[in-house]
Order: sequence, then structure tokens, then C-alpha cells
Amino acid sequence: MAIAQFNLKKNQRAERKLLITVAEWTDEAVTTYELQTSQPANWATNYTSYYIKSGNDYVAVTGTTAPTWVADTYYTKVTMGPTFREILGTRTEDSSIEYNTDIATSTDIRGFNYTDVNKTQPQQSFDPFLILGGSYLGAKLNDIRKRNAYSELSQFTLYIITAYIGNETDGYDAERHTDCTIEYTSLGGDANVNMPINVYFSNRVTAGTVDKLDETFTFTPDVSV
Amino acid sequence: MSSVDKNQAIIDYLNTCPSIVDNPQYFNFANAKDGSKQISVRSSDKSRNKPFIDGSVEKQFAFTIYDFRSISYNPLVIQSGFNNENVDELNAIQGIIDWVTEQNDSQNYPNFGDNCIIDAIYTTTENPNLAGVDKTVSPQVAVYSVTINVDYLDISRKVWQNN
Repeated sequence: MAIAQFNLKKNQRAERKLLITVAEWTDEAVTTYELQTSQPANWATNYTSYYIKSGNDYVAVTGTTAPTWVADTYYTKVTMGPTFREILGTRTEDSSIEYNTDIATSTDIRGFNYTDVNKTQPQQSFDPFLILGGSYLGAKLNDIRKRNAYSELSQFTLYIITAYIGNETDGYDAERHTDCTIEYTSLGGDANVNMPINVYFSNRVTAGTVDKLDETFTFTPDVSV
Repeated sequence: MSSVDKNQAIIDYLNTCPSIVDNPQYFNFANAKDGSKQISVRSSDKSRNKPFIDGSVEKQFAFTIYDFRSISYNPLVIQSGFNNENVDELNAIQGIIDWVTEQNDSQNYPNFGDNCIIDAIYTTTENPNLAGVDKTVSPQVAVYSVTINVDYLDISRKVWQNN
């Protein structure tokens, strides 16, 4: 099979955002309510699927006709899980996958070098990894940190999506690493709380494609021929 | 609401400020008369934008409120019950700065639409700046200025839209 070419014009540089690292894990499903700041397109017909806050509870909108829209009043119900996905790198200015290649080089009596690549141990750092509202991964790591349940740090699946290869029709090139580790390195910072992380790719890798660039993507393994 | 007029959003926002709402407001150009408020946009240097690896960009929206106040040439009187007009006017303008600080602390921000996440709104100074005096009008007015920055994250070009 021919090597897939980049979906870029000749000499066009690939924007950094086209190299995507995504963390995936399973956990108990979470229901949240998101405040609506602008009127949804389906408000007139679908108003009963929205909620208002009553004390600490959320109550579905009722009535025979849609109430007059008021910003910052109505909520949508969002259920996440049990499979969670989150792109890594929000508010991170610079991050690269380091392959940490282990190389052994020997030289024969003629002076020719022989280089063996023994292994790679890819890892990637994200600093800052800010504590952000709505970040399920941040909440997950913080929960592990609080319980000192560090064995749970090695339960993640990581995807590397190279969106500069492929397209919406055929999918974007991706690789899936299972049983990966995400490690938090510190907690604190200056103006905002930062919990920098390192992610360690397992090399238990499956090559494939993803059909779209959002958290609902479907990963399809490549078929060997 | 993916994109909104940020100038209008600022005007709407400032109209929730008690120190501003009951006064004549102008945008960029104003009649210099006592109590008038002029909102002037300031250009933001794109080189200060901070791009992130997911395609989002940290940006700043800046504007200045010019506040016109009649002036007094009366000397300060150090006596209970006597206030100096110039001091009173300055304190009134200080109310705008204090209001902005309160709004930021309570995370009550202008609405820049779904593609912008507001990080902070703040004044660049702790007290108003005396920008000048206009002696060509009657009564003569002093022009005080308060510059306000809105730091926000533009997620319109983020590669991963729903996360």
C-alpha cells in the first residue's frame, strides 16, 4: 500500500493544531447542565428539552408554548460517559511528542558504523495543563491525586491523530495506544491553578483512521492486506 | 450565536454600570459636556496574541472610557461638610474602576458570543487618569480616562470544537 501523502499544498506548512493527542478512558457517566447564553435554534419547538434551575435542582421547562427566551436562564442536560475523551493541549503553547529513542552504535574495524534502534519510549508533556471548568480529564486526575490512587494513572488510551493526512471523506490518519499512563507532575502555579502532565505512550499501537475531528469520532483500524 | 459585535457587547455591558448608565454615552466621538461618557476603541496589537496548540488564540480587546466633568478652580477647604468638586468628580469616576473590578471578581463578563471565552476584564490603572482639560466649552470640562482590557480566548479556529 502506498504511503499516504499530506493533504497540504506543496510547501505549505502544517498548522500545529493538526497534530492532535486525545486521551480516552472509561468511568461512571456524569450528567451536567450547561447554561445557555444564546437562544437555541430549536427553542420554539423544543423548549421542553431545556431546564431551569430551582434551588440546587434542575427542572424541565413545561407549558403549552415556548416561554420568552431569556439569556443565562435555561440549561441543557449533558450526559457524558462511560467513555470519555478529551483533547490534550488546551492553553498549551508548545508541546511535542518525544520519542526517547534508545540507540546502540558500533563501529567495525573498517570504520563503518552500525546503528541499532533498540526501542522508542514516546512521551509528551503538557505544561500548562490548567484546571479548567468542564475538563473531565482534569477532574479525573485530580480525583486520582486526591486518593493517591496512582495505579489508576495507567488506564488511559491515547490517540495521536495526524489531521494533515486524510480528509473528512476517507478519515484522518490516527494511531491508538492502549494502556498508557498520564502522570501529573505538580499542582499550583501563579495566577491560575496548573497541573502539568506527562503522557507516556505504550507502543501497544493500532494504526487506523478517525472519521471526524471531535470527541465523538469513530476509530477504524487499518485492514492488513 | 457564533460571532457578535464586540463593540455592541461592550456598550451593552457598560450600560449595566450604575456610574455610566444614566449619563449620555458616545462611541469614539463625543460632545464635551459635563457627565458625558465617550467609549473609544483601542487597537490591539496582533503580535501579542498567544496561539495555542489546539488552534485557539488568546487575545485582548481594549477600550478607553473618557469621562467629561466640569471643573472647579476653588481651593481645597479642609473643613467638615465642604467637599471639593474636583475631588468628588474624581471619586465618581473611581466608581467605574471599582465596578469593573467587582464584575471581574464575580466573573460577570461582556457577552462576546460562543466563540470567545472571557478570561478577565480589568482596568489598566488603579485610579482615573486626567487626560486633559477642554477650556473651549462652557463650563470648562476635565477629561478623565479609564482604559479597560478584556482578555479572552478565541476558539473559532480550534481544531476540536466540542471539547
